[in-house]
Formats: sequence, C-alpha cells, structure tokens
Amino acid sequence: MALLKPAESRLFLTPLTGFLLLFLGFPALVNLVYSVSSVSFETLRSPVLTGFGNYTLVLSDGEFWRSVSFSGRFAIVTALAECLIGLFLAIFLAPLLKKHSGLMAPLMLPLMVAPAMIGLMYRLVLHEFAGPLPYYLFLWFGDSPAFLDVNNAFKTLAVVEILQWTPFAFLLFYMAYSGISPDIREAAALDGAPWYRVLVWIDLPLMRPTIAIAFFIRFIDGFRVFDNVYALTGSGAGGATTSLSIYIYQAFFKQAAIGKAVAASVLLFLASLAVLTLINKLAAGRRRA
Amino acid sequence: MRMTSTLLALAGLILSTSALTGLAEAKVTVLGWPGGSEETALRATAEAYNAQPGLAEGDKVELIFFNRDGFFDKLQADMAAGSDAFDVNLVATYSIGRYAPYMDTIDLGPEAAKTYGDAVLKTMQFEGKQYGVPTDLSLHFMYYRKDLIDALMKDDAAKAKYAEISEKFLGKKLEPKDPDSWTWDDWAATALYFSKQVNPASPTRYGTVLQMKNLLFNMMVFQSLPRSYGADWMDKEGKITVDSPAYRTGLELYKKLYDAGASPKDSLSYEYAETNAAFGAGQAATALQWNAAAGDLTSAEKSPAVAEVTAMVAPPAGPKGRADHIHGLGLGLNKAAKNKEGATKFLKWLATENAALTYAKAGGSPALSPEVVAKIAADRPDLVKLGDFAGKYGYVMTGATSAKALSVYELQAKEFTGYWSGQQSLDEALKKTETGMADLLKK
Repeated sequence: MALLKPAESRLFLTPLTGFLLLFLGFPALVNLVYSVSSVSFETLRSPVLTGFGNYTLVLSDGEFWRSVSFSGRFAIVTALAECLIGLFLAIFLAPLLKKHSGLMAPLMLPLMVAPAMIGLMYRLVLHEFAGPLPYYLFLWFGDSPAFLDVNNAFKTLAVVEILQWTPFAFLLFYMAYSGISPDIREAAALDGAPWYRVLVWIDLPLMRPTIAIAFFIRFIDGFRVFDNVYALTGSGAGGATTSLSIYIYQAFFKQAAIGKAVAASVLLFLASLAVLTLINKLAAGRRRA
Repeated sequence: MRMTSTLLALAGLILSTSALTGLAEAKVTVLGWPGGSEETALRATAEAYNAQPGLAEGDKVELIFFNRDGFFDKLQADMAAGSDAFDVNLVATYSIGRYAPYMDTIDLGPEAAKTYGDAVLKTMQFEGKQYGVPTDLSLHFMYYRKDLIDALMKDDAAKAKYAEISEKFLGKKLEPKDPDSWTWDDWAATALYFSKQVNPASPTRYGTVLQMKNLLFNMMVFQSLPRSYGADWMDKEGKITVDSPAYRTGLELYKKLYDAGASPKDSLSYEYAETNAAFGAGQAATALQWNAAAGDLTSAEKSPAVAEVTAMVAPPAGPKGRADHIHGLGLGLNKAAKNKEGATKFLKWLATENAALTYAKAGGSPALSPEVVAKIAADRPDLVKLGDFAGKYGYVMTGATSAKALSVYELQAKEFTGYWSGQQSLDEALKKTETGMADLLKK
C-alpha cells in the first residue's frame, strides 16, 4: 500500500516545484528572451526582440571559439589528470585507509577551500618576491620560471585545478573500490591471478560507471572554470586564459553586450545539458546492470 | 466589538511598521570604495559628520562596502536595476558617463571650488554637469631608489657601463641623470643598467617593475608614456588616433624592457600589489606606480628594505614634456536614493574645507587647492606633490569620460598585452585597438 495518495504527493511537491519555477525557471526564461533581444543596462526592463542575431554574433566571434578551445583543453587535461591520479591514490591508499579512516579528512581539505581563495593563495605562493616557491627555486637553482607568463599560464592553472579537485575523484573511486566484494578478488587470487590482472579484469570494469561519472563531472567543472583562473591571471595576456565563463563575464560586464553574453551562456547551458544527459544514461545503465 | 478591536490592532500594526520603515529609511547610506586608505578616511569623515551637534538622527550616515574585485560591474548592475540600497555611491572619472543615467546631478555650492579648484571639480563632471564630490585623486609617481641612483652618478666606471648599455639597447650613449630630469630614455637606460640579466653586477635583480597584466588599471599607468610623446585617443574630428608614432614608441619601449629582463618575468600578471611587493623587497630600482603606494613604500614598518631610500618624482618627460594620468574617485547621488535630502546635505558638507581636511588627515588623497593644502602640508607632504603634479602634468585623454571609456581601457589592455607577450605584432595590436575604439567611441 502506498504511503501517500497521488493528490497528497502533488501537494507536497508543490512548494519545491514553485521554488524551482521561480528561482531557476524565471531566470532561464529571461535569459532566453535576452538572448534573442537587443538589450543594454539602460533597457533591461524593455528588451526589443531582434531574432537570432546574438547567436550569429557569438558563433562568428573568433574570441568565442578561442575561449571554447581553452575551456575544452582545460577540461580534458584536468579531468583526465584528476581521474588518473585519483584512481591511483584510491587503489594505492585503500589498505591504509581501511585501517585508519581518519586519514580521509586531511585528504579532503582542498575541497573545502573556495576556488577563488585557491587562486589568491597561489597568486601569493607563486609571486617572485613574496612566494615560497620562487624563493626556494632562486635559493637552490638561482632562477625561477615565469609561472604565469603566456607560455606557462595554462600549465600552472591546470596544476592548481588538479591539486584542488583530485581529492574529489579520489573520494568517488575509493568508495567504488571499497564497494567491490572481497570475495571476487579472493576467488581470483585462488585461481592464481596476479594483482594487475585483478585490477584490469575485475576492479576497473566494476568501477567503470563511477570512473565515467567522475570524469564527466570534472569535465563540466573544468569547462566552466572561472574563479581560480580569474583570480590568478584574469583573462591572461592578450586574452590567452579566457575561459568560456570569463568570455561571458567580460561580454556582459566589460563590453555591456548583454545579448551576446546571454546567447553564449545559453550555448554553454545546452552543452552542459548534453553532457548531463549522457551522465544520466550512464547512471541508468549502471542501475540496470 | 471584536471586529473593531481587530481593525484597530491591524491599523496599529500598519502604522508602527510604517514608522519603523520610515526610521530605517531616514539614514543616509553611503557606498564607498572598499579597502585601503579611501575606506579608512571615509570612516573617519563619516564619524566626524555624525558627531556634529544638532544633526538629525535621520541624516546620520551609514557606510557600506563591497569587494573591490568587479566593483564597477556590480555597481552598474545594481544601479541599472534601480537599487535603493544606497543613497550615495562611488563614482570615478572614467565611469561617470556609464553611471550618469542612474545618478542625479548635484550643486556643491561656491565653497567646493575654493576647496578643490575648478580643474579637480571637473574630474567629477560629465557633459558639464557636476555628478560628485572629488574625494580622492589618483595619479602616478616614478618611485626610485635614491641610494642606487646617487651611487651611480658618483661612479665613473658605472657611468661607462651605463653608456655602453644605453648604446647597445637604445642606440645612443647616455649619462646618468637626476630622476627629476629624466626622459623616458634615461629611465629605460637606468632600468636596463640595474637589471642582473643585462648587467650581472647590478645590486638589484630588476631595473623596474612593469605592470603588464591584462587589466584596465594597468593601461592607466602605461598611458603617460605615449602621452608625453603627444598621444591622444582621438582628434578634434573624432578620428581615432591610437595608431600613432607616440603609442608605437611607448609600446615598443615596454616590450624592449620586458624582453631584455629589466622587469620580472611574470610582469604580464603584475598589477598594483605585485609591483609594491617587488619594489618593497628591494629588488627593483624604479617603478612607475600609483601615488597611493607612497605611504606603504616609505613606511619603515611596511617596507623596511626600502623605506629610507625611496624617493618619488613625476613620470619622465617625452618630446611633449611630462604627462601624468589623472583618475578621480568621488561620491555622488543615486537617482533611486530613498533619502535624497539627507544625502545631498552630506555631499555638500563633504565638499567643504573642514570635511576635506578631515578626510585628508585620516589618510585620504584629495587634490586640494594650494591655500587649503598648505594647512595640512606638515602632516601630509605627499598631498602637496599630488596637487602640484596634477596641476602641472595632469591630463585626461579625449573621449576618456564617455560611457564606454572603461571599455576602451579594457580593449587596450587586451591588445597591448597581446603584443607584449608576443602573441601578435605591433601593427595587428594597433589595428585591432583602432577598430575597437572607433566602435566604442562612435557618437
């Protein structure tokens, strides 16, 4: 027997639906209207519908594609590195963490810091005259590289992102790894399978859905990166570190091109939606399995 | 009877709510420039205003601040949305045109002209109308290490090395000079001489610290170099003139110094704070930096390595003389203000001599008229220099108070840093800047 009648369920869901409609649906609707309108800060309340000109403007803007390229490369590199390192740590540290679960807390610490703070922290850490890293490099080697110049900025930003978010991937992988029944590994060991065969033929296939989900979540997060990049390099020399989010921010606030910014954000929303749908399908596949 | 009681209770509730709301609205809320000397000075000045005998409770001032990062963007979004969360808001010379549609003009009375002088009041005007009280003036000083320059000028061997370096990099033999009579070439030669990469015997790692991050404020610092060679944004007919020999000279000189290692390798990510850190660490011989840094760089507590040996002059001269970029901060009246009467009263008081002196004593940087600044010269000698440089060398580029002025600086920052970092040629950078500026500044 069902605990609630359908009418009661609807009644209980009404506040949540109302909340979502108001705080997510309304801004989304306004965004859609602005994206096909001519609008400025002076005419925020009276946009004039002009068709799909803003989308054409965005899609024909070389800077937009440059920012998509930056975000895409950044997302792939960081998501891959975070997943690989996270996977290695999860498997390598599993026996230790099983005995001392308290070690998990310090490993999770980077996740608790706001990305903007991480950006500011590294701005200090990497500063030639105030930061500890260049200080020791000068002390030991007599020189320190330009961490944030146009040749190294991408690498530095990627490392900063990886250092902060690898624990997230690690956490997911450790949970998935711990969830695999020890009986299966025991049976394989009895059959004489070496550790790498257990890893390749038992652990990784069982962890595959988690790996895919972790990769896509980190990919989305990397693709829409803003805070730590903005705090460290801004949009970079000549716009070299302009992520898609920074492109949207600049179009909106710096150029007051509201229609163009909103059109770009709608495109980002659609791309994120596509990735999220893929994740949902993967998760559904895992449930069926 | 019960109905009557309920109605009375309701009426009472409504009346008390209105009265409370009225009281809450009666305060004058001021949105100031957060952090730094401006906030400290405004807090002290507001305290002095609130302590005046006879000031009505509803006219007292309350201050609010939000973060500096993206301040002007957030302010624009708030004002465009008709926010009445503040009655008085911050305004800057280069953003008056952007905020004017959401602000009311204000008549500051005759005393304001005596306190500040007409030239300074103009930094808060748009299309001939006054939009604010000019609380702080920002311009740039050339900071230099007096001990190093003095030693250089006394040492013949050093002079010969200096001449050799200047000939190699600048194509002419130069002699060390007193910084107050420097041309930009003299400064460049000094910067090269004091860089380890050029001159391994240099006592400092770098000869200067260039602020080259893709940031609009860095363009304000850079602007005085081409200006002293005669640069302007547009001519009288409104034609954009950024693709000029003056801008080329300035841009090339920055790149030459950066490429030669006269400025830190990470200069392309440097702004105000990084420059202070580099100069304050004693590893840079010169720095073109905002006047606001004078306090920190000459404070034995904050910059123990250089405080005693740091001196300041106006930026070096070009063929058209010296030029110093003026950037004013002030406070004006929000069009959507809830307490306009109280806000106007506060702004008029703020423009008086006593208020300006209170603000200056508390650490602010108002550009005061010579008669007024004389009264505070003993406490704040830097303000004398500020007023002096602003009067002699201060300039505003043609078109630089328009609604899109900040966007022009943004555009220049992106294109010029693209050139300095070697991602595009000088021709490409100037062409893109010219096209973008024509679009932004078209009538």
